[in-house]
Amino acid sequence: MDVIYGLIPMMLFFGFLVVVIFIWMAKTGHFDDLDGAANRIFMDDEYPEDLKNKDKTTEKLKEEKPSV
Amino acid sequence: MSLMEPCFHCGQAIPDGDLIFKKINEEEHSFCCHGCASVCEVIYEAGMESFYRRTPEGELLSPPPPPNKDIDFFDYDEVQSQYVTDLSDRREITLMSDAIHCAACVWLIEHTMAKEDSVLLTTVNFTNKRIKIRWNNSQLKLSSIIKKLNSIGYDATPYDASASEKAYRKANRDLLYRLGFAGFAMMNVTWFSVALYTGASDDQEFKTYFYWLQLMIATATIVYSGLPFFKGAWTSIKAKTVGMDVSIALGLLTTYFYSLWVMVDASGDGYVYFNTLIDFIFLLLIGRYLEAISKNKALDSTRRLMDLQPKVARQLVNGEEQVVPVRRLVKSDQILVKPGEQFPADGVILSGESMANESMLTGESLEVEKTVGDHVSAGTLNVDGTLTVSVEKILQDTQLGHIVHMVEEAQGSKAPIQSSVDKIMPWFVSVTLSLALGSFLYWFINADLEFAVMTATAVLIITCPCAFGLATPMAEAVATGVSAKNGILVKNGTVLETLQSIQHFVFDKTGTLTKGKMKLVDYQLVSEENKSALLLDIASIEQLSEHSLGRAIAENMRESLGISIKELKEVDGFKALPGKGVRGSCNGSELHIGTAKWLTELGIELLESLQVQAQERAQLAQTVIWVAKQNKLVGLLFLEDEIRPEAAELIQRLKDKGKQVTLLSGDLQVVADCVAKQLGGMQVIAEVLPEDKNKVIQELQAQGQKVAMVGDGVNDAPALVRADVGIALGSGTDVSMDSADIVLMNNELMAVDTAVELSARTLKTIKQNIISSFAYNIIMVPLAVAGTLTPLIAAITMPLSSLVVIGNAARIRSFFSQKAINKRRKGAK
Repeated sequence: MDVIYGLIPMMLFFGFLVVVIFIWMAKTGHFDDLDGAANRIFMDDEYPEDLKNKDKTTEKLKEEKPSV
Repeated sequence: MSLMEPCFHCGQAIPDGDLIFKKINEEEHSFCCHGCASVCEVIYEAGMESFYRRTPEGELLSPPPPPNKDIDFFDYDEVQSQYVTDLSDRREITLMSDAIHCAACVWLIEHTMAKEDSVLLTTVNFTNKRIKIRWNNSQLKLSSIIKKLNSIGYDATPYDASASEKAYRKANRDLLYRLGFAGFAMMNVTWFSVALYTGASDDQEFKTYFYWLQLMIATATIVYSGLPFFKGAWTSIKAKTVGMDVSIALGLLTTYFYSLWVMVDASGDGYVYFNTLIDFIFLLLIGRYLEAISKNKALDSTRRLMDLQPKVARQLVNGEEQVVPVRRLVKSDQILVKPGEQFPADGVILSGESMANESMLTGESLEVEKTVGDHVSAGTLNVDGTLTVSVEKILQDTQLGHIVHMVEEAQGSKAPIQSSVDKIMPWFVSVTLSLALGSFLYWFINADLEFAVMTATAVLIITCPCAFGLATPMAEAVATGVSAKNGILVKNGTVLETLQSIQHFVFDKTGTLTKGKMKLVDYQLVSEENKSALLLDIASIEQLSEHSLGRAIAENMRESLGISIKELKEVDGFKALPGKGVRGSCNGSELHIGTAKWLTELGIELLESLQVQAQERAQLAQTVIWVAKQNKLVGLLFLEDEIRPEAAELIQRLKDKGKQVTLLSGDLQVVADCVAKQLGGMQVIAEVLPEDKNKVIQELQAQGQKVAMVGDGVNDAPALVRADVGIALGSGTDVSMDSADIVLMNNELMAVDTAVELSARTLKTIKQNIISSFAYNIIMVPLAVAGTLTPLIAAITMPLSSLVVIGNAARIRSFFSQKAINKRRKGAK
């Protein structure tokens, strides 16, 4: 049973870490737009109409990451 | 192409007669309106036509909203400084757009804006419907960005979260983190406790180990999650009052240090209560969080009020027009105000004539005629003429500024509502302390010191007001939750306790008891010959009018004749004369529709009999419009501000409940009396200046009455704040909604009565909750005094008492069940 002397504090530490990470995520706005990303992924498909104006538009969208 | 085909852009069915064809990309498409057609054209021009492929199958868009007005103003730094981060070249702004409604919209906006060179970044928050844009201000104006968004079918209003809203949201989130941490701690500590209760405590080594683990978690929890209670207790002690927080802090600290002492003093055979301690914190934080969210939308109304004034004005300098910030204007500067603009300052008209919509100040929806020498007020709307105005007062000194001041004053002088639990608390704390002291003394004499300390702390632990802490917030949270779903937005849950005890209900007249919209009630024609043809002519001409009276006449006339817009006749030579009326010709005969004064000026004879009738009608608060055909009087039209159909029943119901009802109006006494009579009679306070409404409330309160105010206008805002409970209508101005405690989003006046009943129900539940908490204490305290309390009993009964409170509060949900609604309806009859 000696194993619990090491395991319990370890699990507590991990649990604590998860809580801290969650709070950090919430504070940095990771949960602000839950629907946007889920839907945006469907918009990445290319359509024949897009090919003719495939210029800097897409590159630019990738370049600048939103600041939070 | 069949006529049944839906609009190519928005996908909605095209109403008969609205079909528009437009050639786009060599192909003819049908649209429901010009808005859709032009948006579609822009999308194709920009090469974004795959938008239509991306729109989910069967998803209907809506026709584009009207473009934003006055966007040029947003280009001025004075205006922008409110919305953008800094006024450098690279600026960032958040725009609100309600038209965003599917992922394809997000794609379209982001990709269209990305094509603009000077736009550095566009991100659309789909959940909040907000667009964040970063752009280079030296190359591109903000107005062009908004125009671009308008052209692809999205409205865009700069968003400015007020500072208080941000602080409020932060505090809320903070509480949620603390609650989350307490929940995490509770789960872990419970496992150790279960192990201890089920036998692990027999082994001294495990016992000590688990105790230490519990101590660690409990210490972290009491420091982080328990902080709000200690802070509250400290404020309370400093103010020399004994609130709930003092009692909670006392319970928490006693429990913690007692357990610590038991742990360290290995010889003693007491128990540790870490588990109970963390349960306390968790449950109490739930109550705290619910309390916080039931006080939602704590916007500060005064800021919003000030925003109603334009920030820039068109100043006339040596006959030339210059746009300047309002605060730079001084007395007797000349400013130009164009149709559709708000007056930027209080002043006197130097030239021009127009109609002004002063509804925001007076609550009166009818436009007021303004000519040379008349006063105009900042924030009100110039409807149809260009005016030159000499500035008298600006910003804080304007009439609107005075209202802002009054709202601030009322907010400052309003004492926070004491909930029923707050009233019990000092009493409860003193009883608890004397019980603890009593049992300590008793056992100190009859047993030893250690047992005496143990029983005294047990009393403090078991009486920690956990269920008390949940009794009120839980009931209020459930009540505000269900009422919000049913169109009654309660912004501050505490008013639900107060509302049922209100003795005096004061109603604003225009827009609250009446619809605030003119309606054609009757007409009188000189001869009945060709009646319908004449009415059709009148409707056709008034259809072209921008004036609210004109629109009402056209609409009601069409309804009574049963014809659609398309069946109206063609009108030649239409002209609207501000403050006078309209004229136009149908089939070659000219009609003049307007005021008696104007018709007299034109040399048209007004019949004596009709003049008498007109005067009678004017006494009944009706507006009389005269009609002449070919310069001969042909009839009269009577319009009135229609009383809401449910108003009479509401007044009756309130009276049945024994409440006093008063009508408060700025109108003439006769007019207000007339409305009161139609509503079954009530007290009338008329001819009250807009800025005096809150004084009336104050006087009533000075007589020792609890007053609720129901209103909708900006001028009602100070009174709404001043009253014990302010109720605003959802159709009213934003400012009145911000100032009120309750907003009737469903716009049904009857909801006032529903709110009163809900309030009674909530208070009943709160009382039941308090009684059940007392019952728990009465059962448990003897156990503690007798020294037979164990952590296991505490761990089971304490959450149990809280669960009873939560379960009882949840029963409020049935208030809006169909059965309960029917029962109330029957009861009212």
